[in-house]
Amino acid sequence: MDALIARADAIRPLSELRAVKTRDSGKGKAKANSKGKSKDTSTSNSDYTLQSISSHVNVPKSLAPLDPSSSKSKNDEVPKYNHIANKKLRSQLVHQHALNSNLSKNALETQQNLLSLAADDAGSIQVTGPLEKTWRISQDEIVASVGGEAAKGRRELTFGPGQGAKRMKWSQNGRHLVFISGKGGTKVSSVDWMGGNVNCEVDLLAGSNLAGAGGNGGGGEAARDVTFLQDQSFFAVAQKRNVFVYDRDGVEVHRLNNIIDPLRLDFLPWHWLLVAVTNSGHLSYTDTTTGTQIAVHRTKLGACNTLTQNRHNAVVHLGHQNGCVTLWTPNLPKPAVQILSHMGPVTSISVNPSDGGSAGSVNMPGRYMATAGRDGKVKIWDCRNWKGVVREWTVRGAGDVELEWSQKGYLGVLSGGSVNVYHPPHIVTPYTGSSSSAAPPLYLSHPIPHKPLQCLRFEPFSDVLAIGHNKGLSSILVPGVGEPQFDSLEADPFENAKARREREVKGLLDKIQPDLITLDPSMVGKFDSAALSASGSSLVATAAQSLLDKSDKVKWGANVQVKNVGVDVPFSRMKRVERLAVQGKLDTTGAGDDSEDSDVEMKEGGDGDSDDEGGLTREEMSKKRKMRGKNKSLKRYLRKQRKNVVDPQVLAVRAKVDRMREEAKAKKLQMKAGGAVEENKRKSALDRFKAGSGK
Amino acid sequence: MVKISVLQHNPALHVPIRPGDPTPVQRNLNPSMHPFAKARERTRALNAAKLDKIFSKPFVDSLEGHIDAVEVLTKPLESLTTVASGSWDGGLILHNLHTRSEMLKLPQAHKGKISGLCFADPKGSRLLSCGVDRNVRLWKVGTGDGEDDSGASSQEPLHVYPWKTSFNSIDHHRSDPLFATASSTVQIWDETKSAPVSNLTFPTSNETVSSVRFNLAEPSVLASVGSDRTFTLYDIRTGKAERRVVMQFRSNALAWSPTLPTMALLASEDHNLYTFDVRHMAAPVQIYKGHVAAVMSCEWAPTGVEFVSGGWDRTVRIWSSREAGGKEKGPGGREVVYHTKRMQRVTSTIYSSDARYVLSGSDDGNVRIWKAKASDKLGVITARERASMEYRESLVKRWSVDKDVGRVLRTRHLPKSVYKAGQLKHTMLEARRVKDERRRKHTRAGEQKPVAEKKKTIITEQS
Repeated sequence: MDALIARADAIRPLSELRAVKTRDSGKGKAKANSKGKSKDTSTSNSDYTLQSISSHVNVPKSLAPLDPSSSKSKNDEVPKYNHIANKKLRSQLVHQHALNSNLSKNALETQQNLLSLAADDAGSIQVTGPLEKTWRISQDEIVASVGGEAAKGRRELTFGPGQGAKRMKWSQNGRHLVFISGKGGTKVSSVDWMGGNVNCEVDLLAGSNLAGAGGNGGGGEAARDVTFLQDQSFFAVAQKRNVFVYDRDGVEVHRLNNIIDPLRLDFLPWHWLLVAVTNSGHLSYTDTTTGTQIAVHRTKLGACNTLTQNRHNAVVHLGHQNGCVTLWTPNLPKPAVQILSHMGPVTSISVNPSDGGSAGSVNMPGRYMATAGRDGKVKIWDCRNWKGVVREWTVRGAGDVELEWSQKGYLGVLSGGSVNVYHPPHIVTPYTGSSSSAAPPLYLSHPIPHKPLQCLRFEPFSDVLAIGHNKGLSSILVPGVGEPQFDSLEADPFENAKARREREVKGLLDKIQPDLITLDPSMVGKFDSAALSASGSSLVATAAQSLLDKSDKVKWGANVQVKNVGVDVPFSRMKRVERLAVQGKLDTTGAGDDSEDSDVEMKEGGDGDSDDEGGLTREEMSKKRKMRGKNKSLKRYLRKQRKNVVDPQVLAVRAKVDRMREEAKAKKLQMKAGGAVEENKRKSALDRFKAGSGK
Repeated sequence: MVKISVLQHNPALHVPIRPGDPTPVQRNLNPSMHPFAKARERTRALNAAKLDKIFSKPFVDSLEGHIDAVEVLTKPLESLTTVASGSWDGGLILHNLHTRSEMLKLPQAHKGKISGLCFADPKGSRLLSCGVDRNVRLWKVGTGDGEDDSGASSQEPLHVYPWKTSFNSIDHHRSDPLFATASSTVQIWDETKSAPVSNLTFPTSNETVSSVRFNLAEPSVLASVGSDRTFTLYDIRTGKAERRVVMQFRSNALAWSPTLPTMALLASEDHNLYTFDVRHMAAPVQIYKGHVAAVMSCEWAPTGVEFVSGGWDRTVRIWSSREAGGKEKGPGGREVVYHTKRMQRVTSTIYSSDARYVLSGSDDGNVRIWKAKASDKLGVITARERASMEYRESLVKRWSVDKDVGRVLRTRHLPKSVYKAGQLKHTMLEARRVKDERRRKHTRAGEQKPVAEKKKTIITEQS
């Protein structure tokens, strides 16, 4: 047996392994200057067992060997954390950084693999030449060319004149659709779109609602808006008097008494908040898990007909009659942002849910907002910078313009008698042509003869666009607008009842508190620098470091820490550096003799105001020293001498010094920019004849 | 001709093929598909921290049987279940932790208090006890493991070693048939001889030694703490005391680290625990503050990362040792405190050999079993449960710096007396600090420098 193992060379004895290792490390030291060679030796000393199994096994990522040198060569931004004195902490940070970069790399790889799988499924229109226009393609052609199961997405539901779908909403996973139809909007239907079944139909005119509390409010009233709650099992309907919640079978389960005369509804799925805006201009947030109203804001801008949410930060966008768009969070009694977007009532708002369409884009999702107004304009806004529109154009046709972004960033615009869909990259690229109001290139257009057209909604995870019009509801196929790869853990169109129940419980456990809604959702888990600078006291712990740390010096201002330290921490608890700083004995010039440091010093000197801030600067120290031993009257005299004296000589010297500083700075910058190049260049014999060589 | 394709999902790929199959899962890691991922994770971490608090029920059981206060607890090195306890009434009980029954009960093993107990072999078949009746007794005990039951436990001692003074502590050599006793001197005994073979006391010492322990890695080295506020090191090869330090307060107990051979832990009368590296005795490596009364006992976990201490303040505390690579101190940066209404002054604490349980013996005559990790689940744990527990743990770790999560972690309930005593202690220490500060302020600059806390505890080092 031993002989067999020995022949297979499966496992080397430990002593031998050790010997090899020590030999190799010796070699490594000898060849420390050549990185590549030492790396080779390190790979060669792995034992055969490892090699034989390494192709079949996966080392956990946390245990995988870290090679800081290789990661360094790939991206040069591995920080050295030199400013951290604690060796242990430093190595931990470097390790963490390497792990993170490994992880992100792996995640990216995985994601690309997943996307390549999904790319086969994704819909598209491929044109062969520039003369072929995608917008010329009619729905009949699309249906004919895709055929089969996919063609079933194209549907025409006819309810009769004046009884078409007024408002509708898809469920999170895109399987179910709830819409308002009937004469005057008195019928609410929830349908399983993919399965082709009707879940329920609630007739608000019928007597079924006459009994019970909802009978008074619900009976005979038109529905204004409808939305699903967490999934298809509940939907909320804004009726004339109140908001009512119905379950999947159309049974009225709740009446929200404190929302009176609601116009528009939406549901924030991660916060479990039902948002309603009323005819009186009140915006109310209702927690659907507890049934409590957590916030009511008075918009003071009258009846509001437009409400939408940014799915990525849960901020609610309202469009008002006076052309304003306001952004609301439950935590602020006033709008977080208010812009005058249109010269007339705002009819529709939508926020781009995608991150720009292309894979690997650095755009944050939810960056762009599209608005449409009764002035016949469509405008695209950048939610990070509200100064002016990114793009705007005028649409043809009478009636209110409705619009919505799809998951992949296509913009559908409903106007007049047709629906137009635009491409993602062109919608958000600023137009630089002569006429500033040119529409982006059209992707697809579909005329509908049943005016007025009332609403449009893209189905999630599918290439279907549902349009509500005067006579009914029609769905058209728009290739490429849906996200091909859904995430089963977030929203799954094919989930069964058990998975739905589980998701509901998980979602409840993960419910985010409404106070966390802000314009910047990445605020969670981040260091709050504003609060830190406001409190001041927490600065103390790092005061000494930041005194020496150049970047912090720029950030906080050099003298701030000294003050704080003096006020809050007893002298005995301070570190030596801090004590020196408080006493004014700290030599900041010698701390780091980098070029950057001297730059910083120069800036401060150039300001001239930094002396007044209270801490003892170098100049003050020198003054103090000069005063030592002088009596009081002489001190006063000298102080007055220094103050309010305009000495032409001193001024001249000062100007000269400033000029020299400027020159030195410029020179340094020049050196930085061009110095490296010049060093690499070899000097030739003719260089001495160059213009600048005489200096 | 244009090529048109429309997205369509194949339902067969997304539903289980047969009933009972797991539902296929499809992932998309694009961040835009996961809004509020961070905020949701924070909520999950907060829930995990709260669950940890909800599940933390550390008390397992209490072992009764003693008439008077429990003075010492000991366990053999290689047994998971056997624990011996000695009491003030001279009773000695051998407990089985698994069945929670008494394997052996000697109501009158000694006259008066049993002050020291230790097993004479790793298996735990012989037990040494010493008491204030000036005797050391060697008992034969059956561990109940079934392996070495050649002779069941007997009510009579195998051997009695009488001496002139009462004993305070006893410890057995790791491999040799030697044991050390502590009385007014430290003596080494041979099991086969009836008188001590050597006396190792420090030359100028005139104290009562309260605890003596052999080093675990270098068994010829032993250490003791005594009433003269000393911590002394001995070597039985040279046969004399090597070095000692005199501290501000006396120590009550002593334990050697099982993983760091040079590390010793002292339970001091000044409410603190000290770890010493015996190579540098000028100052302790670390001070562990938290008890609000004298610490009566201490013991390392077999992993060497944590240790347990029991105190006069009626609490058992579990600490994580940073020098041994533990967490900061414990969850929320503080030690874990165990207490019950009926538990009196804790006189002895030990860890079980699998590091999952902690035992405490207290003045009320009970030996209590606690979980070492308060929220541990006992019993069978399925793989999914284990995975979710590990996930929760890592979540809590990652988000422990978050304000709310940290608050949940830090919050702990203390008995009112302990809490008030802690407040009072804090006030007094703060007043002392302020006074020092003021005194320093009003002396000439540089004349009075503050002394490091670690340096303060040591008065002198002698050799």
